[in-house]
Amino acid sequence: MTASRDGTIPKRRAADQAQAEAIFTSVGDGFISTDEFGHITRINPVALKLLGYKRQELLNAWFPEKIIAVYADNMPVSLIDRPITKALLTGKPISEKTFLRRKNGEIIPVAVTASPILMNGKPIGATQIFRDITLEQEVDRMKSEFISLASHQLRTPLSAIKTYSHMLSDGLMGPLHKDQLKALETIISASNRMNELISTLLNITRIETGTIAVTFKTVNVCELVSELMPELTLMAHNKSITLKIKQPPKIERSRLRIISDSLIIKEVVTNLASNAIKYTPDNGKVEIIIRPGTKDVRVSVKDSGWGIPLHSQDQVFSKFFRAHNIVKKETTGTGLGLYLVKGLLDAVGGTIWFNSKEGKGTNFTFTLPRKPSKNLIQI
Amino acid sequence: MAKILVVEDDKDLNNAYKIILKHEGHEVVGVFDGKEALDKIKDFSPDLILLDLLMPVMGGLEFLQNWQKTGTKNKDVKVLIFTNMENSPEVSEAYKLGANRCIIKSWTAPHNLAHVVSDTLKNGDYQENTKAKK
Repeated sequence: MTASRDGTIPKRRAADQAQAEAIFTSVGDGFISTDEFGHITRINPVALKLLGYKRQELLNAWFPEKIIAVYADNMPVSLIDRPITKALLTGKPISEKTFLRRKNGEIIPVAVTASPILMNGKPIGATQIFRDITLEQEVDRMKSEFISLASHQLRTPLSAIKTYSHMLSDGLMGPLHKDQLKALETIISASNRMNELISTLLNITRIETGTIAVTFKTVNVCELVSELMPELTLMAHNKSITLKIKQPPKIERSRLRIISDSLIIKEVVTNLASNAIKYTPDNGKVEIIIRPGTKDVRVSVKDSGWGIPLHSQDQVFSKFFRAHNIVKKETTGTGLGLYLVKGLLDAVGGTIWFNSKEGKGTNFTFTLPRKPSKNLIQI
Repeated sequence: MAKILVVEDDKDLNNAYKIILKHEGHEVVGVFDGKEALDKIKDFSPDLILLDLLMPVMGGLEFLQNWQKTGTKNKDVKVLIFTNMENSPEVSEAYKLGANRCIIKSWTAPHNLAHVVSDTLKNGDYQENTKAKK
């Protein structure tokens, strides 16, 4: 482009640049851009304030050296795990939560979106937009505390109902006749449904506010599933459903030992197995199969139930999903169980998939990694 | 068989756990908060403490912290957290303060409670359990 004789083009270019600079400066979140080699080309005032640097300290500096991302324990995130690296390698925006280290050494929690700058399909740089989420985390923590308290208050009387009902039906307070036992079964079943609902709502809220606390300990998947069998067997027995557990021979059971969260695993299995029993007609079959993989343990819950119609299968893990073929047959479900299961498995680094044929049955399989990846033990 | 201290503020549940565990042949004493528990362990010397977390006066976590500070905390005494607050930060914190296992009240029928108490007395936590199997 050549300069016009009256200087209009340079003036217009200067006006455009000034406008672009004003837009850039007015962005409410921290904004940093780099060239294709990772050198900082632009940085806005919000970013400077959040990080505690002066502009001249960061311009042209190498991004990963100056903008230090860390885990909750202040250990640096490796270059390959940085959102900006992943954005450049994949050519797609990457959004994550992480911590950044300010100039004074303080660490702040941030939500980051890193995007590649593409020209004719080729990356010529990257941008990182980020904001301080300290206040959001505090609000989430308060919500989580409130939910814990509310659910505790609701569940304490329910625990008393369940415990005393079981004590009566187990004969701890003397023998009962058949009708009394039947009445107790109804009370127990209703209190179980109430408990499940409270548990589901509590956990979904925790997942959605990112406040689910995961405790990683060495556990044996087989032992955890075995602990659930008495209650699941009772559920299955009420519908004359055969419930079996298939596990490797004793000599191989040490391969079912992993580092994970026992309560989450139990909740996932309980959800899948009780769904399998609920959505299988009387006299059907449910199997829980546990097998070790190289890097994980796999658990399948297979039933001979009503199955999921093909056209509904892509919505199975959505909130409030209930397939039309079971809604009329079984009206007590909330449609939250599988959404919760997916969220819980995400929290421990697991995956889940299924095969299903309407009228034949369903097989859900989930994996549990042998040990958690580092990014699961931070925010 | 074993001496068990039940620390649970709800009177009905406290009473129920005592009945269930006495039925299994254990010697059981119940208290209603962490402060009472700190006083009781001096003379009762339990083998296992069944510990609720959310209690008035002194909760489960504060009890564990104060018990450590007294210097009388015995590593052989098993602590079984019995709570309705699964997947909460409080449960993670309890493990860090030395709890062996956690079970959820609203999921646990009496025969399961008796089984888990028995197993915890014998094997401790899952980690100890798997180590023993080596």
